[in-house]
Amino acid sequence: MAALLGRMAVACLVSAGVFAGSALAQKQGGVLKVTHRDNPPSASIHEEATISTDMPFMAVFNNLVIFDPESSQNRPDRIVPDLATSWTTEDGGKRVVFKLREGVRWHDGKPFTSADVKCTWDIVTGRVDGKMRKNPRKTWWWNIKEVTTNGPNEVTFQLGSPQPSLLVMMAGGFSPVYPCHVTGPQMRTNPIGTGPFKFVQFKQNEGIKLARNPDYWKPGKPYLDGIEYTIIPSRATAILALVAGRHDLTLTGELNPENAKEIQTQVPQMQCIVQPSNTQGNLLINRDKPPFDDERLRRALVLSIDRKAFSEILSRGVNKIGGAMLAPPEGIWGWSPEYMETVPGYGGDVEKSREEGRKIMRELGYGPDKMMPLKVSTRNVASYRDSSVILIDHLKSVYIQGELEVLDSSVWYAKMLKKDYAVGMNVQGTGIDDPDVQFFENYTCGSERNYTGYCNPELEKLYRAQSQMTDFETRKKLVWDIDKKLQEDAARPVIYQSQGATCWWPHVKGLKLAINSIYNHWRFDDVWLER
Amino acid sequence: MLSYLIRRLLLMALTLFGVSIAIFLLLRIVPGNIADILFDSAGLIDPAEKAKIVADLGLDLPLYQQYWQWIGGLLQGDLGYSYVSEKPVLEEIAPRIPITAKIAALALIFSVIAGVPLGVISAVRQNTPLDYLLRVTSLSGLSMPSFWLGLLILMAFVHYLGTIPIYDREPATFMAGFTMLAVPAAAVGFRSSALIMRLTRSSMLEVLRQDFVRTARSKGLSEGAVTYNHALRNALLPVITTIGIEVAFLFGGLIVTETVFNIPGVARFLVEAIRWRDYPMVQNLVMFTATIVVVVNLIVDLIYMVIDPRIRYSE
Amino acid sequence: MSTTVSQDRPTKPSFFNEVFYLARRYPLGVAGAIIMATFVMCALFANFVAPLDPFSTNARASLARPSETHLLGADMMGRDVLSRIIHGARISLAVAVGATIMGSGLGAALGLASGYLGGWFDLIIQRVSEVMQSLPLLVMALVITASLGPSLRNTIIAIAIPLVPTVARVIRSNVLSLREMPFVEAAKATGMSEFRIAVVHVLPNTLAPLIVLATAQLGSTILTEASLSFLGLGVPEPYPSWGRMLSESAAEYVRTAPWLVIFPGLAISLVVFGSNLMGDALRDALDPRQRD
Repeated sequence: MAALLGRMAVACLVSAGVFAGSALAQKQGGVLKVTHRDNPPSASIHEEATISTDMPFMAVFNNLVIFDPESSQNRPDRIVPDLATSWTTEDGGKRVVFKLREGVRWHDGKPFTSADVKCTWDIVTGRVDGKMRKNPRKTWWWNIKEVTTNGPNEVTFQLGSPQPSLLVMMAGGFSPVYPCHVTGPQMRTNPIGTGPFKFVQFKQNEGIKLARNPDYWKPGKPYLDGIEYTIIPSRATAILALVAGRHDLTLTGELNPENAKEIQTQVPQMQCIVQPSNTQGNLLINRDKPPFDDERLRRALVLSIDRKAFSEILSRGVNKIGGAMLAPPEGIWGWSPEYMETVPGYGGDVEKSREEGRKIMRELGYGPDKMMPLKVSTRNVASYRDSSVILIDHLKSVYIQGELEVLDSSVWYAKMLKKDYAVGMNVQGTGIDDPDVQFFENYTCGSERNYTGYCNPELEKLYRAQSQMTDFETRKKLVWDIDKKLQEDAARPVIYQSQGATCWWPHVKGLKLAINSIYNHWRFDDVWLER
Repeated sequence: MLSYLIRRLLLMALTLFGVSIAIFLLLRIVPGNIADILFDSAGLIDPAEKAKIVADLGLDLPLYQQYWQWIGGLLQGDLGYSYVSEKPVLEEIAPRIPITAKIAALALIFSVIAGVPLGVISAVRQNTPLDYLLRVTSLSGLSMPSFWLGLLILMAFVHYLGTIPIYDREPATFMAGFTMLAVPAAAVGFRSSALIMRLTRSSMLEVLRQDFVRTARSKGLSEGAVTYNHALRNALLPVITTIGIEVAFLFGGLIVTETVFNIPGVARFLVEAIRWRDYPMVQNLVMFTATIVVVVNLIVDLIYMVIDPRIRYSE
Repeated sequence: MSTTVSQDRPTKPSFFNEVFYLARRYPLGVAGAIIMATFVMCALFANFVAPLDPFSTNARASLARPSETHLLGADMMGRDVLSRIIHGARISLAVAVGATIMGSGLGAALGLASGYLGGWFDLIIQRVSEVMQSLPLLVMALVITASLGPSLRNTIIAIAIPLVPTVARVIRSNVLSLREMPFVEAAKATGMSEFRIAVVHVLPNTLAPLIVLATAQLGSTILTEASLSFLGLGVPEPYPSWGRMLSESAAEYVRTAPWLVIFPGLAISLVVFGSNLMGDALRDALDPRQRD
């Protein structure tokens, strides 16, 4: 059913003409100008977890495999070769062997070999010190036991257990192949890749420049002479700059749907697409300390939330409602609407839920005259603060008097780590629409990103079970059940799944975006300018 | 005169030394360091890896050692490396200084050109409707937040001219560069011009009442000659002082204006550096601005001394 | 009527006469005082004056244009702009008054001590204030808010501290000149203690310039608060701060919702304008040298 919906969404988008134009004659030349929202922490994709680094620098690199750019949805069954020309699985899926493309060169002229692939994964799995400052996706690669080379053009990944999602994670924009001969610090300031564009310049708080790689291994590509990102922190200024024609494209997902509407009233021919921005608003509940070590109180808190109101106020109803996994039709793994009805707190009747919450609170000794005081912590970032304001509004309905504590970004995670909070309003992103990524990154015991320290050994077994499943439909059923259990347990109650907009002038041709991720389609080797 | 100059220079050095200690300690009080920010941007919490970054950057050393590393390098012309970009600080700051300097200079020129004549007119036509109008205008200039004015200007540009005067690429021609900087300069200079106008007016009024102006008048000099030759010259002194004070103030205005107009100058850069806890960057930038402020003040004092021989510097 | 006022004034300064006299003598100052009084009333009685709850969000009113329910429109989250501006007056004035009193009080105390005690104390205070004055005000406020964390109290502190040296210097020079005055000499001759002279004779005589200085600072503290909030470092949510109202979504909806940009900016400008008018009049009235 969901798959069908997914296909329907694809069909809709194609017929709407968003991806039209691939059959036209491509033009060579021109520099694509893109607005950027902030200074990327570094140029090294493997060290960062933000679109600020991913989008501008993905075009410098190649992956082993990549999501089919012609498909408008990132799917496990639509993965195509990139630096690997083909791959086979052996030993019941516990060994994956990649044949590598020959004759590919790094931007500095050195040849690309299997050693580079081994190096990259030895570093991101933490076996070798690559002089990286941080390694945010180490949890993705928990299943890799060893990477071996068989000659310069073949590499083998030995896994602990079969894992269909391995290729999915490798196909994402966050998994480029790094050169073995370039050090970590250099990759942060002056990255070298095999991709269609060479790194030229990265000026802090000013912009990023890439230039065409004339020796790119795809003949005739890329079409653009270069790409320039200008860092414009004020969204208002960025919108004005786009409308005034100084830029061709906006940083993906950075605009909200309302911005897109505003832009299109000013420039009707502007192309704008609204899609999930792969970030979700969720609640961090400190279950190790009073008052929320009491399961009943956690439940009352969750019952006060009107997810629809959140979506209406924050995005005029555009934001999606779902669990940990991205909701259909864009998402592959999210609950069907029918299934969602069965999850506590997701039923349509908010008043009924709140009445239930009030009943719990009354049993705990609270009431309209005796509200429970509660400090709601959040980061000093607009999207966090806005969500918290609504949350406090909703908490009143179950006799909780919320008070907002706004924390500077520099102390936010330190406070979370010290468990020095009661409830935190959090907004977080997920690189790929995939259950392995979501569960292992955020919900396993001991993961660096498991801020609340939620640890459920029973569920942990289920994560591993679904990870090995090859049948899509069976796996999806299990994923739905895990997701439901996570929400029931108030592990990290998901309140909304954000949607973001990306806008570009119609003279930008050949942009192909996937609807379920903003991170994986910025190679730019098919894009050209038709001025 | 020479001993006065030497004394002033020594005091200047002392002040700058104080500034270096102040900013160094202030930054260390600010919670969180570069490691926190870096990990925050990746959404991670790993105390061990964080500690490694802290050790790599020498942030675990005793404070006096850290201070000595910085100031010792600075005295030898070595500004260190930015924590974020990992490039030499000088390489990061140097190209941005001219941009901010140009805007600041344009803003000052603009404020003097607009402020002084209007101040004179207002003083000469004291208590006329024109005076009231000018005073209210200048007061509103002092009352508007410069970022708001900047936003209104941007909106007007896009709405009426369909173009936007923001700095998103290096200007190709001199004229392009000028217009790109002139608009933000006007936005930030509006405040200074209002201030200069008010000061010109009040010091003109004071001077016009003084004896030597009366004498000049009684000698039959024309009103215009009195105003311009005698009164204005004397009234300019406090204006010059204000320019000295305004330099420090202008920098504050530039921070928000550079943000609104997206100008890659040092002022906005400083705010970003504070946000990133990029100590070498903040420390050196603050030292740089403090030096400018101190030097400008010295120059103002010297000019003062040259223009007005009545002032003796003995103290 | 007006003639009676001016005739009566020297002999019988009744309240109303005084007001009329002032209104004639300083029409702009009175206008400023009226503006300020309006904002102060709004701030004090925000709960009664504001037509709606400034915190309550409402999806249906998102970006509502000015109408009977929302006189100045509503923001992205459907919160009433007028109510937020009225409640925002609290923040603006609290910061302005708090920071001015704190900065001027501390500055006056240090200036008095520095001018009166002289010696090492004076030297140190002098050098420290030189250091502080060579740092741009906004930069200092930025670093201080960053180190203290975002809150109303910390914003006040961050804005107050850079004011201290300015005030201290003015008061110090005032004290220095006062010390040479005949009446202080006379008090010394009668054997009055230094401390008593400082409190009884010197302090009252520095009040006038202090008031002038403090009023002049009011406006700039409001502007500094607005700038800090605009840069995302001022008073945090849920308090409605004018600067923050301008900083975030406001300017993005210029075409569909210009009221989000225009009204909060107007509020800032108006209150600073009022305080400047008042400050000018006060200076004229209290500082005869500058009278025109």
